[in-house]
Amino acid sequence: MALQIIESCVNCYACEPLCPSKAIYMSEKAGHFRINPKKCTECEGDFKDTQCASICPIEGAILDALGVPINPPGSLTGIPPERMAEAMAELQAH
Amino acid sequence: MELPVLNETPAASAGGCSSHSCGTSDDQLGHLSDEIRSKVENHPCYSEDAHHYFARMHVAVAPACNIQCHYCNRKYDCSNESRPGVVSELLTPDQAVKKTMAVAANIPQMTVLGIAGPGDPLANPERTFETFRRLSAEAPDIKLCVSTNGLALPESVEELSKHNIDHVTITINCVDPEIGAQIYPWIFWENKRIKGVKGAKILIEQQQKGLEMLAAKGILVKVNSVMIPGVNDKHLAEVSKIVKAKGAFLHNVMPLIAEAEHGTFYGVMGQRGPTQDELMELQDSCSGDMNMMRHCRQCRADAVGLLGEDRGDEFTMDKIESMEIDYQSAMEKRKVIHEAIAEEMHSKRAAKVEKAASHAEEPKLNTRPVLMAIATSGQGVINMHFGHAKEFLIYEASPNGVRFMSHRKTDLYCGGDDTCGDGESVLQQTIRSLAGCEAVLCSKIGYEPWDLLEKAGIVPNGEHAMEPIEEAVMAVYKEMAAAGKLDEAAPQEERATA
Repeated sequence: MALQIIESCVNCYACEPLCPSKAIYMSEKAGHFRINPKKCTECEGDFKDTQCASICPIEGAILDALGVPINPPGSLTGIPPERMAEAMAELQAH
Repeated sequence: MELPVLNETPAASAGGCSSHSCGTSDDQLGHLSDEIRSKVENHPCYSEDAHHYFARMHVAVAPACNIQCHYCNRKYDCSNESRPGVVSELLTPDQAVKKTMAVAANIPQMTVLGIAGPGDPLANPERTFETFRRLSAEAPDIKLCVSTNGLALPESVEELSKHNIDHVTITINCVDPEIGAQIYPWIFWENKRIKGVKGAKILIEQQQKGLEMLAAKGILVKVNSVMIPGVNDKHLAEVSKIVKAKGAFLHNVMPLIAEAEHGTFYGVMGQRGPTQDELMELQDSCSGDMNMMRHCRQCRADAVGLLGEDRGDEFTMDKIESMEIDYQSAMEKRKVIHEAIAEEMHSKRAAKVEKAASHAEEPKLNTRPVLMAIATSGQGVINMHFGHAKEFLIYEASPNGVRFMSHRKTDLYCGGDDTCGDGESVLQQTIRSLAGCEAVLCSKIGYEPWDLLEKAGIVPNGEHAMEPIEEAVMAVYKEMAAAGKLDEAAPQEERATA
Protein backbone atom coordinates (compact mmCIF):
# COMPACT_ATOMS: atom_id res chain seq x y z
CA MET A 1 0.00 0.00 0.00
CA ALA A 2 1.53 3.27 -1.04
CA LEU A 3 0.60 6.70 -2.31
CA GLN A 4 2.00 8.18 -5.50
CA ILE A 5 3.03 11.69 -6.58
CA ILE A 6 2.53 12.31 -10.30
CA GLU A 7 3.90 14.81 -12.82
CA SER A 8 1.51 17.62 -11.93
CA CYS A 9 3.63 18.12 -8.77
CA VAL A 10 5.02 21.70 -8.75
CA ASN A 11 8.00 20.95 -6.48
CA CYS A 12 6.87 23.13 -3.59
CA TYR A 13 8.61 20.92 -1.00
CA ALA A 14 5.67 21.18 1.43
CA CYS A 15 5.14 17.42 1.74
CA GLU A 16 8.75 16.29 1.97
CA PRO A 17 9.55 17.20 5.61
CA LEU A 18 6.16 15.92 6.82
CA CYS A 19 6.56 12.31 5.73
CA PRO A 20 6.96 10.10 8.85
CA SER A 21 8.63 7.36 6.74
CA LYS A 22 11.00 9.61 4.77
CA ALA A 23 9.53 8.09 1.63
CA ILE A 24 9.37 11.33 -0.37
CA TYR A 25 12.36 12.24 -2.53
CA MET A 26 13.18 14.58 -5.39
CA SER A 27 13.45 12.49 -8.52
CA GLU A 28 15.95 14.12 -10.88
CA LYS A 29 14.78 11.74 -13.58
CA ALA A 30 11.10 12.63 -13.26
CA GLY A 31 11.77 16.33 -12.52
CA HIS A 32 9.46 16.29 -9.51
CA PHE A 33 8.98 14.74 -6.08
CA ARG A 34 8.09 11.06 -5.89
CA ILE A 35 7.18 8.54 -3.22
CA ASN A 36 9.24 5.42 -2.63
CA PRO A 37 6.52 2.72 -2.54
CA LYS A 38 8.70 0.46 -0.42
CA LYS A 39 8.87 3.06 2.35
CA CYS A 40 5.39 4.66 2.21
CA THR A 41 3.07 3.47 4.98
CA GLU A 42 0.21 5.86 4.12
CA CYS A 43 1.04 7.31 7.57
CA GLU A 44 -0.50 4.25 9.21
CA GLY A 45 0.32 4.31 12.92
CA ASP A 46 1.69 7.87 12.76
CA PHE A 47 -1.17 10.13 11.67
CA LYS A 48 -4.87 9.86 11.07
CA ASP A 49 -4.60 11.70 7.72
CA THR A 50 -1.98 11.06 5.06
CA GLN A 51 0.39 13.99 5.53
CA CYS A 52 1.54 14.63 1.97
CA ALA A 53 -2.02 14.68 0.67
CA SER A 54 -3.12 16.95 3.54
CA ILE A 55 -0.72 19.78 2.66
CA CYS A 56 -0.39 19.33 -1.12
CA PRO A 57 -1.88 22.44 -2.84
CA ILE A 58 -2.24 20.79 -6.27
CA GLU A 59 -5.45 18.92 -7.02
CA GLY A 60 -4.81 15.52 -8.55
CA ALA A 61 -1.06 15.43 -7.83
CA ILE A 62 -1.26 12.68 -5.20
CA LEU A 63 -2.96 9.34 -5.88
CA ASP A 64 -4.05 6.69 -3.40
CA ALA A 65 -3.08 3.01 -3.65
CA LEU A 66 -5.85 2.48 -6.22
CA GLY A 67 -4.62 5.33 -8.41
CA VAL A 68 -7.47 7.67 -7.45
CA PRO A 69 -6.68 11.37 -6.75
CA ILE A 70 -6.95 12.04 -3.02
CA ASN A 71 -7.67 15.72 -3.77
CA PRO A 72 -9.97 15.69 -6.81
CA PRO A 73 -10.59 18.79 -8.99
CA GLY A 74 -12.32 21.58 -7.08
CA SER A 75 -11.62 20.08 -3.65
CA LEU A 76 -8.76 22.45 -2.74
CA THR A 77 -9.33 25.61 -4.74
CA GLY A 78 -13.11 25.59 -4.42
CA ILE A 79 -13.37 26.28 -8.16
CA PRO A 80 -16.14 24.03 -9.59
CA PRO A 81 -14.53 21.93 -12.36
CA GLU A 82 -17.21 23.04 -14.87
CA ARG A 83 -16.40 26.69 -14.18
CA MET A 84 -12.67 26.03 -14.58
CA ALA A 85 -13.31 24.29 -17.91
CA GLU A 86 -15.45 27.21 -19.10
CA ALA A 87 -12.86 29.79 -18.10
CA MET A 88 -10.09 27.87 -19.84
CA ALA A 89 -12.21 27.52 -23.00
CA GLU A 90 -12.84 31.28 -22.98
CA LEU A 91 -9.12 31.97 -22.69
CA GLN A 92 -8.31 29.55 -25.51
CA ALA A 93 -10.85 31.22 -27.78
CA HIS A 94 -9.40 34.63 -27.05
CA MET B 1 -0.51 79.19 0.16
CA GLU B 2 0.99 76.76 2.60
CA LEU B 3 2.84 73.69 1.49
CA PRO B 4 3.06 71.63 4.64
CA VAL B 5 6.16 69.55 5.09
CA LEU B 6 4.38 66.61 6.45
CA ASN B 7 7.39 64.55 7.41
CA GLU B 8 8.47 67.20 9.86
CA THR B 9 5.12 67.63 11.52
CA PRO B 10 4.18 65.16 14.23
CA ALA B 11 0.47 64.50 13.85
CA ALA B 12 -0.09 65.07 17.56
CA SER B 13 0.61 68.75 17.11
CA ALA B 14 -2.24 68.91 14.62
CA GLY B 15 -4.70 67.38 17.03
CA GLY B 16 -4.02 63.73 16.31
CA CYS B 17 -5.26 63.51 12.80
CA SER B 18 -5.93 66.69 10.92
CA SER B 19 -6.84 66.52 7.29
CA HIS B 20 -3.58 68.32 6.56
CA SER B 21 -1.31 65.55 7.64
CA CYS B 22 -3.24 62.34 7.92
CA GLY B 23 -3.20 59.86 5.12
CA THR B 24 -0.35 61.55 3.39
CA SER B 25 2.52 59.38 2.44
CA ASP B 26 5.14 61.76 3.73
CA ASP B 27 3.37 61.55 7.00
CA GLN B 28 3.60 57.77 7.20
CA LEU B 29 6.57 58.08 9.47
CA GLY B 30 5.46 61.23 11.20
CA HIS B 31 3.74 59.37 14.02
CA LEU B 32 6.75 57.29 14.87
CA SER B 33 9.36 57.57 17.55
CA ASP B 34 12.84 58.67 16.48
CA GLU B 35 14.09 55.16 17.08
CA ILE B 36 11.63 53.61 14.65
CA ARG B 37 12.15 56.35 12.10
CA SER B 38 15.87 55.79 12.10
CA LYS B 39 15.23 52.08 11.52
CA VAL B 40 13.05 52.65 8.47
CA GLU B 41 14.40 55.76 6.83
CA ASN B 42 16.46 53.81 4.33
CA HIS B 43 13.91 51.04 3.83
CA PRO B 44 12.20 51.45 0.46
CA CYS B 45 9.16 49.38 1.44
CA TYR B 46 8.44 51.31 4.63
CA SER B 47 9.39 54.85 3.78
CA GLU B 48 7.85 56.60 0.78
CA ASP B 49 10.76 59.02 0.83
CA ALA B 50 13.33 56.21 0.83
CA HIS B 51 11.72 54.30 -2.00
CA HIS B 52 12.90 56.92 -4.48
CA TYR B 53 16.52 56.18 -3.55
CA PHE B 54 17.03 52.76 -2.03
CA ALA B 55 16.50 49.35 -3.56
CA ARG B 56 15.33 46.01 -2.21
CA MET B 57 15.55 42.42 -3.27
CA HIS B 58 13.71 39.21 -2.53
CA VAL B 59 15.28 35.77 -2.60
CA ALA B 60 12.95 32.91 -3.45
CA VAL B 61 14.08 30.26 -0.96
CA ALA B 62 10.68 29.38 0.53
CA PRO B 63 8.54 27.26 -1.78
CA ALA B 64 6.21 25.51 0.69
CA CYS B 65 3.01 27.01 2.00
CA ASN B 66 0.75 26.04 4.87
CA ILE B 67 -2.46 27.73 3.71
CA GLN B 68 -4.38 28.38 0.49
CA CYS B 69 -5.51 31.89 -0.40
CA HIS B 70 -8.14 32.49 -3.06
CA TYR B 71 -5.90 35.04 -4.83
CA CYS B 72 -2.98 32.66 -5.19
CA ASN B 73 -2.27 29.82 -7.59
CA ARG B 74 0.71 27.67 -6.62
CA LYS B 75 1.19 26.45 -10.18
CA TYR B 76 2.05 29.84 -11.55
CA ASP B 77 5.42 30.92 -12.90
CA CYS B 78 5.57 33.41 -15.73
CA SER B 79 8.61 35.59 -16.32
CA ASN B 80 6.37 38.35 -17.68
CA GLU B 81 4.34 38.54 -14.53
CA SER B 82 5.05 40.83 -11.66
CA ARG B 83 3.00 40.07 -8.60
CA PRO B 84 3.48 38.40 -5.22
CA GLY B 85 3.99 34.66 -5.15
CA VAL B 86 5.47 34.47 -8.64
CA VAL B 87 9.12 33.42 -9.16
CA SER B 88 11.25 32.02 -11.93
CA GLU B 89 14.06 30.30 -10.09
CA LEU B 90 13.92 28.65 -6.68
CA LEU B 91 17.15 29.12 -4.72
CA THR B 92 18.92 27.08 -2.04
CA PRO B 93 20.06 29.12 0.99
CA ASP B 94 23.63 28.96 -0.31
CA GLN B 95 22.59 30.34 -3.72
CA ALA B 96 20.47 32.99 -2.02
CA VAL B 97 23.46 34.22 0.00
CA LYS B 98 25.62 34.39 -3.13
CA LYS B 99 22.91 36.22 -5.06
CA THR B 100 22.35 38.73 -2.25
CA MET B 101 26.03 39.55 -2.01
CA ALA B 102 26.35 39.85 -5.80
CA VAL B 103 23.42 42.25 -5.96
CA ALA B 104 24.67 44.25 -2.96
CA ALA B 105 28.06 44.68 -4.64
CA ASN B 106 26.56 45.67 -8.01
CA ILE B 107 23.58 47.74 -6.83
CA PRO B 108 25.02 49.54 -3.80
CA GLN B 109 21.73 51.30 -3.07
CA MET B 110 20.26 47.89 -2.20
CA THR B 111 19.69 48.07 1.56
CA VAL B 112 17.07 45.43 2.19
CA LEU B 113 16.84 41.69 1.63
CA GLY B 114 13.45 40.12 2.09
CA ILE B 115 12.19 36.58 2.05
CA ALA B 116 8.63 36.59 0.81
CA GLY B 117 8.02 33.25 -0.79
CA PRO B 118 6.97 32.01 -3.25
CA GLY B 119 5.26 30.07 -0.43
CA ASP B 120 5.30 31.16 3.20
CA PRO B 121 8.81 31.81 4.59
CA LEU B 122 7.90 30.47 8.03
CA ALA B 123 6.50 27.27 6.54
CA ASN B 124 10.09 26.69 5.34
CA PRO B 125 11.88 27.48 8.60
CA GLU B 126 15.13 25.66 7.82
CA ARG B 127 15.70 27.27 4.43
CA THR B 128 14.55 30.71 5.60
CA PHE B 129 16.54 30.79 8.83
CA GLU B 130 19.70 29.37 7.31
CA THR B 131 19.60 32.21 4.75
CA PHE B 132 19.09 34.79 7.51
CA ARG B 133 21.75 33.26 9.76
CA ARG B 134 24.39 33.35 7.06
CA LEU B 135 23.51 36.83 5.81
CA SER B 136 23.56 38.40 9.25
CA ALA B 137 27.10 37.02 9.67
CA GLU B 138 28.46 37.53 6.14
CA ALA B 139 26.67 40.72 5.02
CA PRO B 140 25.94 42.63 8.22
CA ASP B 141 25.17 45.90 6.41
CA ILE B 142 22.00 44.50 4.85
CA LYS B 143 18.66 44.79 6.61
CA LEU B 144 16.71 41.55 6.69
CA CYS B 145 12.97 41.24 6.59
CA VAL B 146 10.37 38.58 6.14
CA SER B 147 6.73 38.47 5.24
CA THR B 148 4.32 35.79 6.35
CA ASN B 149 0.70 34.73 6.41
CA GLY B 150 1.12 34.42 10.20
CA LEU B 151 0.06 30.81 10.73
CA ALA B 152 3.50 29.68 11.92
CA LEU B 153 4.47 33.07 13.35
CA PRO B 154 4.10 32.51 17.13
CA GLU B 155 6.49 29.54 17.07
CA SER B 156 9.01 31.52 14.96
CA VAL B 157 9.21 34.76 16.95
CA GLU B 158 12.08 33.58 19.16
CA GLU B 159 14.21 32.54 16.17
CA LEU B 160 13.32 35.74 14.24
CA SER B 161 14.52 37.88 17.13
CA LYS B 162 17.96 36.22 17.04
CA HIS B 163 18.90 37.54 13.60
CA ASN B 164 19.34 40.95 12.07
CA ILE B 165 15.57 41.05 11.49
CA ASP B 166 13.79 44.07 12.80
CA HIS B 167 11.00 44.14 10.25
CA VAL B 168 8.22 41.60 9.75
CA THR B 169 5.23 41.90 7.44
CA ILE B 170 2.07 39.92 8.24
CA THR B 171 -0.69 39.64 5.66
CA ILE B 172 -3.92 40.10 7.61
CA ASN B 173 -7.02 40.24 5.43
CA CYS B 174 -9.62 39.93 8.17
CA VAL B 175 -10.28 39.46 11.87
CA ASP B 176 -13.66 37.76 11.34
CA PRO B 177 -13.54 33.99 10.60
CA GLU B 178 -16.74 34.17 8.52
CA ILE B 179 -15.02 36.62 6.17
CA GLY B 180 -11.83 34.58 6.43
CA ALA B 181 -13.62 31.49 5.12
CA GLN B 182 -14.35 33.43 1.91
CA ILE B 183 -10.64 34.20 1.48
CA TYR B 184 -8.88 31.07 2.80
CA PRO B 185 -10.38 27.74 1.68
CA TRP B 186 -8.04 25.72 3.96
CA ILE B 187 -5.05 25.73 6.26
CA PHE B 188 -2.67 22.92 7.26
CA TRP B 189 -2.59 22.82 11.04
CA GLU B 190 -1.42 20.18 13.53
CA ASN B 191 -1.07 17.55 10.81
CA LYS B 192 -4.53 18.10 9.34
CA ARG B 193 -6.04 20.06 6.49
CA ILE B 194 -8.72 22.25 8.08
CA LYS B 195 -11.28 23.88 5.83
CA GLY B 196 -13.74 26.76 6.10
CA VAL B 197 -14.53 28.91 9.13
CA LYS B 198 -12.68 26.60 11.51
CA GLY B 199 -9.43 26.96 9.59
CA ALA B 200 -9.83 30.71 9.15
CA LYS B 201 -10.42 31.10 12.90
CA ILE B 202 -7.14 29.37 13.76
CA LEU B 203 -5.25 31.44 11.17
CA ILE B 204 -6.67 34.71 12.55
CA GLU B 205 -5.79 33.73 16.13
CA GLN B 206 -2.22 32.88 15.14
CA GLN B 207 -1.82 36.15 13.19
CA GLN B 208 -3.02 38.25 16.12
CA LYS B 209 -0.93 36.33 18.63
CA GLY B 210 2.16 36.64 16.42
CA LEU B 211 1.60 40.38 16.02
CA GLU B 212 1.39 40.85 19.80
CA MET B 213 4.51 38.74 20.41
CA LEU B 214 6.55 40.68 17.83
CA ALA B 215 5.41 44.02 19.20
CA ALA B 216 6.39 42.89 22.72
CA LYS B 217 9.89 42.11 21.41
CA GLY B 218 10.21 45.51 19.74
CA ILE B 219 10.29 44.05 16.22
CA LEU B 220 8.62 46.37 13.73
CA VAL B 221 5.46 44.95 12.18
CA LYS B 222 3.84 46.10 8.96
CA VAL B 223 0.43 44.67 8.10
CA ASN B 224 -0.51 43.97 4.49
CA SER B 225 -4.16 43.58 3.52
CA VAL B 226 -5.56 42.62 0.15
CA MET B 227 -8.67 44.64 -0.65
CA ILE B 228 -11.32 42.33 -2.11
CA PRO B 229 -14.50 44.22 -3.09
CA GLY B 230 -17.62 42.65 -1.62
CA VAL B 231 -15.56 40.36 0.64
CA ASN B 232 -13.43 42.38 3.06
CA ASP B 233 -13.53 45.97 1.75
CA LYS B 234 -15.98 47.15 4.42
CA HIS B 235 -14.11 45.20 7.07
CA LEU B 236 -10.58 46.55 6.56
CA ALA B 237 -11.09 49.81 8.46
CA GLU B 238 -11.78 47.65 11.54
CA VAL B 239 -8.71 45.49 10.79
CA SER B 240 -6.66 48.69 10.59
CA LYS B 241 -7.88 49.83 14.01
CA ILE B 242 -7.18 46.47 15.67
CA VAL B 243 -3.70 45.93 14.25
CA LYS B 244 -2.70 49.44 15.18
CA ALA B 245 -3.90 48.91 18.75
CA LYS B 246 -1.78 45.76 18.91
CA GLY B 247 1.35 47.60 17.80
CA ALA B 248 1.65 47.41 13.99
CA PHE B 249 3.36 50.59 12.77
CA LEU B 250 2.21 50.63 9.16
CA HIS B 251 -0.80 49.32 7.24
CA ASN B 252 -0.53 48.59 3.55
CA VAL B 253 -3.84 48.06 1.76
CA MET B 254 -3.19 46.52 -1.64
CA PRO B 255 -5.65 45.94 -4.48
CA LEU B 256 -6.67 42.39 -5.33
CA ILE B 257 -5.07 41.21 -8.57
CA ALA B 258 -7.41 38.69 -10.21
CA GLU B 259 -7.41 37.55 -13.83
CA ALA B 260 -8.85 34.31 -15.17
CA GLU B 261 -5.53 33.43 -16.81
CA HIS B 262 -3.85 33.35 -13.39
CA GLY B 263 -6.00 30.33 -12.57
CA THR B 264 -6.78 31.62 -9.08
CA PHE B 265 -10.17 31.12 -7.43
CA TYR B 266 -10.96 34.83 -7.62
CA GLY B 267 -9.66 35.10 -11.19
CA VAL B 268 -11.65 32.17 -12.50
CA MET B 269 -14.80 33.00 -10.55
CA GLY B 270 -14.83 36.55 -11.90
CA GLN B 271 -14.17 38.36 -8.61
CA ARG B 272 -13.11 41.87 -9.56
CA GLY B 273 -10.33 43.92 -8.02
CA PRO B 274 -11.01 47.42 -6.65
CA THR B 275 -10.91 50.50 -8.87
CA GLN B 276 -8.23 53.13 -8.21
CA ASP B 277 -10.90 55.32 -6.61
CA GLU B 278 -12.19 52.56 -4.32
CA LEU B 279 -8.65 51.79 -3.20
CA MET B 280 -7.80 55.42 -2.48
CA GLU B 281 -11.08 55.89 -0.64
CA LEU B 282 -10.39 52.90 1.60
CA GLN B 283 -6.80 54.01 2.22
CA ASP B 284 -8.15 57.40 3.23
CA SER B 285 -10.78 55.91 5.55
CA CYS B 286 -8.15 53.72 7.24
CA SER B 287 -5.62 56.52 7.54
CA GLY B 288 -7.53 58.12 10.39
CA ASP B 289 -6.47 55.18 12.53
CA MET B 290 -3.14 54.25 11.07
CA ASN B 291 -0.07 55.17 9.15
CA MET B 292 -1.03 54.13 5.66
CA MET B 293 1.32 53.00 2.99
CA ARG B 294 0.57 53.79 -0.62
CA HIS B 295 3.73 53.14 -2.57
CA CYS B 296 3.72 49.32 -2.43
CA ARG B 297 4.38 47.73 -5.83
CA GLN B 298 3.22 44.20 -4.90
CA CYS B 299 6.46 42.82 -6.21
CA ARG B 300 7.42 39.31 -7.18
CA ALA B 301 8.94 36.97 -4.61
CA ASP B 302 12.26 37.27 -6.51
CA ALA B 303 12.25 40.97 -7.42
CA VAL B 304 15.54 42.93 -7.52
CA GLY B 305 16.01 46.70 -7.70
CA LEU B 306 14.17 49.91 -6.85
CA LEU B 307 10.45 49.46 -6.22
CA GLY B 308 8.77 49.49 -9.60
CA GLU B 309 11.74 48.00 -11.41
CA ASP B 310 12.97 44.44 -11.61
CA ARG B 311 16.58 43.72 -12.49
CA GLY B 312 16.28 40.02 -11.64
CA ASP B 313 17.42 39.02 -15.15
CA GLU B 314 20.89 40.48 -14.48
CA PHE B 315 21.33 38.19 -11.49
CA THR B 316 20.26 34.70 -12.54
CA MET B 317 22.24 31.88 -10.89
CA ASP B 318 24.30 31.13 -14.01
CA LYS B 319 25.43 34.78 -14.15
CA ILE B 320 26.15 34.92 -10.42
CA GLU B 321 28.32 31.79 -10.44
CA SER B 322 30.83 33.61 -12.65
CA MET B 323 30.94 36.82 -10.56
CA GLU B 324 33.84 37.34 -8.18
CA ILE B 325 32.60 39.29 -5.17
CA ASP B 326 34.92 40.94 -2.66
CA TYR B 327 32.28 41.76 -0.08
CA GLN B 328 34.61 43.60 2.30
CA SER B 329 35.46 46.24 -0.29
CA ALA B 330 31.87 46.27 -1.57
CA MET B 331 30.73 47.06 1.96
CA GLU B 332 33.08 50.04 2.18
CA LYS B 333 31.83 51.34 -1.15
CA ARG B 334 28.22 50.81 -0.07
CA LYS B 335 28.79 52.76 3.13
CA VAL B 336 30.05 55.82 1.23
CA ILE B 337 27.11 55.67 -1.19
CA HIS B 338 24.52 55.22 1.58
CA GLU B 339 25.92 58.24 3.41
CA ALA B 340 25.75 60.34 0.26
CA ILE B 341 22.14 59.32 -0.33
CA ALA B 342 21.22 60.06 3.29
CA GLU B 343 22.77 63.50 2.92
CA GLU B 344 20.86 64.14 -0.30
CA MET B 345 17.60 63.05 1.35
CA HIS B 346 18.22 65.29 4.35
CA SER B 347 19.09 68.32 2.26
CA LYS B 348 15.97 67.83 0.13
CA ARG B 349 13.88 67.56 3.26
CA ALA B 350 15.44 70.77 4.59
CA ALA B 351 14.70 72.49 1.28
CA LYS B 352 11.09 71.44 1.63
CA VAL B 353 10.88 73.02 5.08
CA GLU B 354 12.25 76.25 3.66
CA LYS B 355 9.77 76.18 0.77
CA ALA B 356 6.93 75.55 3.18
CA ALA B 357 7.91 78.57 5.21
CA SER B 358 7.84 80.79 2.14
CA HIS B 359 4.53 79.33 0.95
CA ALA B 360 2.98 79.90 4.36
CA GLU B 361 3.22 83.64 3.67
CA GLU B 362 0.97 83.40 0.63
CA PRO B 363 -2.83 83.55 0.85
CA LYS B 364 -4.45 80.13 1.00
CA LEU B 365 -6.28 78.94 -2.11
CA ASN B 366 -9.81 77.68 -1.93
CA THR B 367 -9.72 75.33 -4.89
CA ARG B 368 -10.62 71.71 -5.50
CA PRO B 369 -7.95 68.96 -5.38
CA VAL B 370 -6.35 67.66 -8.59
CA LEU B 371 -4.61 64.37 -9.37
CA MET B 372 -1.41 64.42 -11.42
CA ALA B 373 0.70 61.60 -12.82
CA ILE B 374 4.51 61.72 -12.56
CA ALA B 375 7.12 59.87 -14.65
CA THR B 376 10.20 59.24 -12.51
CA SER B 377 12.97 56.71 -12.24
CA GLY B 378 13.87 57.72 -8.67
CA GLN B 379 15.69 60.38 -6.63
CA GLY B 380 12.36 62.14 -6.05
CA VAL B 381 12.61 64.19 -9.27
CA ILE B 382 10.79 64.21 -12.62
CA ASN B 383 13.36 62.46 -14.76
CA MET B 384 11.62 60.03 -17.07
CA HIS B 385 10.44 60.23 -20.66
CA PHE B 386 6.68 59.64 -20.95
CA GLY B 387 7.13 56.75 -23.35
CA HIS B 388 9.68 54.99 -21.14
CA ALA B 389 7.55 55.00 -18.00
CA LYS B 390 6.47 51.55 -16.89
CA GLU B 391 4.51 53.17 -14.12
CA PHE B 392 3.39 56.60 -12.97
CA LEU B 393 3.29 57.96 -9.44
CA ILE B 394 0.01 59.68 -8.68
CA TYR B 395 0.05 62.82 -6.51
CA GLU B 396 -2.84 64.90 -5.28
CA ALA B 397 -2.44 68.66 -5.14
CA SER B 398 -4.84 70.70 -3.04
CA PRO B 399 -4.72 73.89 -0.99
CA ASN B 400 -3.41 71.71 1.86
CA GLY B 401 -0.33 70.70 -0.05
CA VAL B 402 0.89 67.83 -2.18
CA ARG B 403 0.52 64.21 -1.21
CA PHE B 404 1.48 60.93 -2.77
CA MET B 405 -1.59 58.79 -3.49
CA SER B 406 -0.60 55.67 -5.42
CA HIS B 407 1.30 54.33 -8.37
CA ARG B 408 -0.21 53.01 -11.56
CA LYS B 409 1.39 50.45 -13.78
CA THR B 410 1.17 51.04 -17.50
CA ASP B 411 1.67 47.43 -18.54
CA LEU B 412 -1.04 45.99 -16.32
CA TYR B 413 1.21 43.44 -14.58
CA CYS B 414 2.28 41.76 -17.80
CA GLY B 415 4.99 42.64 -20.32
CA GLY B 416 4.35 39.81 -22.76
CA ASP B 417 2.00 41.50 -25.18
CA ASP B 418 2.25 38.93 -28.00
CA THR B 419 0.41 36.28 -26.08
CA CYS B 420 -1.71 38.31 -23.69
CA GLY B 421 -2.48 41.56 -25.56
CA ASP B 422 -6.06 42.41 -26.30
CA GLY B 423 -5.45 44.58 -29.36
CA GLU B 424 -5.30 47.86 -27.46
CA SER B 425 -2.03 49.67 -28.14
CA VAL B 426 0.42 50.20 -25.29
CA LEU B 427 -0.11 53.93 -25.60
CA GLN B 428 -3.90 53.63 -25.33
CA GLN B 429 -3.48 51.35 -22.31
CA THR B 430 -1.11 53.82 -20.71
CA ILE B 431 -3.52 56.69 -21.19
CA ARG B 432 -6.40 54.62 -19.86
CA SER B 433 -4.34 53.86 -16.74
CA LEU B 434 -4.15 57.61 -16.08
CA ALA B 435 -7.94 58.05 -15.82
CA GLY B 436 -8.86 60.67 -13.24
CA CYS B 437 -5.57 62.56 -13.60
CA GLU B 438 -5.67 66.06 -15.07
CA ALA B 439 -1.97 66.49 -15.84
CA VAL B 440 1.03 64.29 -16.48
CA LEU B 441 4.52 65.56 -15.66
CA CYS B 442 7.51 63.97 -17.37
CA SER B 443 10.97 64.92 -18.60
CA LYS B 444 9.98 64.68 -22.28
CA ILE B 445 7.07 63.56 -24.38
CA GLY B 446 6.49 62.81 -28.07
CA TYR B 447 3.87 64.36 -30.38
CA GLU B 448 1.62 61.33 -30.66
CA PRO B 449 1.09 60.79 -26.94
CA TRP B 450 0.82 64.58 -26.47
CA ASP B 451 -2.14 64.65 -28.84
CA LEU B 452 -3.86 61.61 -27.39
CA LEU B 453 -3.39 62.85 -23.82
CA GLU B 454 -4.96 66.21 -24.66
CA LYS B 455 -7.89 64.42 -26.29
CA ALA B 456 -8.30 62.40 -23.10
CA GLY B 457 -8.44 65.61 -21.06
CA ILE B 458 -5.00 65.18 -19.49
CA VAL B 459 -2.56 68.06 -19.86
CA PRO B 460 0.95 66.88 -20.80
CA ASN B 461 3.74 68.86 -19.19
CA GLY B 462 7.48 68.53 -19.86
CA GLU B 463 8.49 71.85 -18.34
CA HIS B 464 9.61 70.56 -14.95
CA ALA B 465 12.28 68.05 -15.94
CA MET B 466 14.73 67.27 -13.11
CA GLU B 467 12.70 69.27 -10.59
CA PRO B 468 11.62 67.79 -7.24
CA ILE B 469 8.21 66.14 -7.66
CA GLU B 470 6.27 67.94 -4.91
CA GLU B 471 7.49 71.38 -5.96
CA ALA B 472 6.66 70.81 -9.61
CA VAL B 473 3.19 69.45 -8.77
CA MET B 474 2.46 72.50 -6.61
CA ALA B 475 3.74 74.85 -9.34
CA VAL B 476 1.45 73.25 -11.93
CA TYR B 477 -1.45 73.33 -9.48
CA LYS B 478 -0.94 77.04 -8.93
CA GLU B 479 -0.79 77.65 -12.68
CA MET B 480 -4.08 75.78 -13.06
CA ALA B 481 -5.59 77.86 -10.26
CA ALA B 482 -4.34 81.11 -11.80
CA ALA B 483 -5.75 80.10 -15.19
CA GLY B 484 -9.14 79.63 -13.60
CA LYS B 485 -9.18 75.90 -14.40
CA LEU B 486 -9.98 74.93 -10.84
CA ASP B 487 -13.18 76.94 -10.75
CA GLU B 488 -14.61 74.39 -13.14
CA ALA B 489 -15.72 71.00 -11.90
CA ALA B 490 -13.36 68.06 -12.34
CA PRO B 491 -13.60 66.51 -15.83
CA GLN B 492 -15.31 63.30 -14.68
CA GLU B 493 -18.05 65.31 -12.96
CA GLU B 494 -18.62 67.23 -16.20
CA ARG B 495 -19.08 63.97 -18.02
CA ALA B 496 -21.48 62.68 -15.42
CA THR B 497 -23.75 65.68 -15.79
CA ALA B 498 -23.42 66.01 -19.55
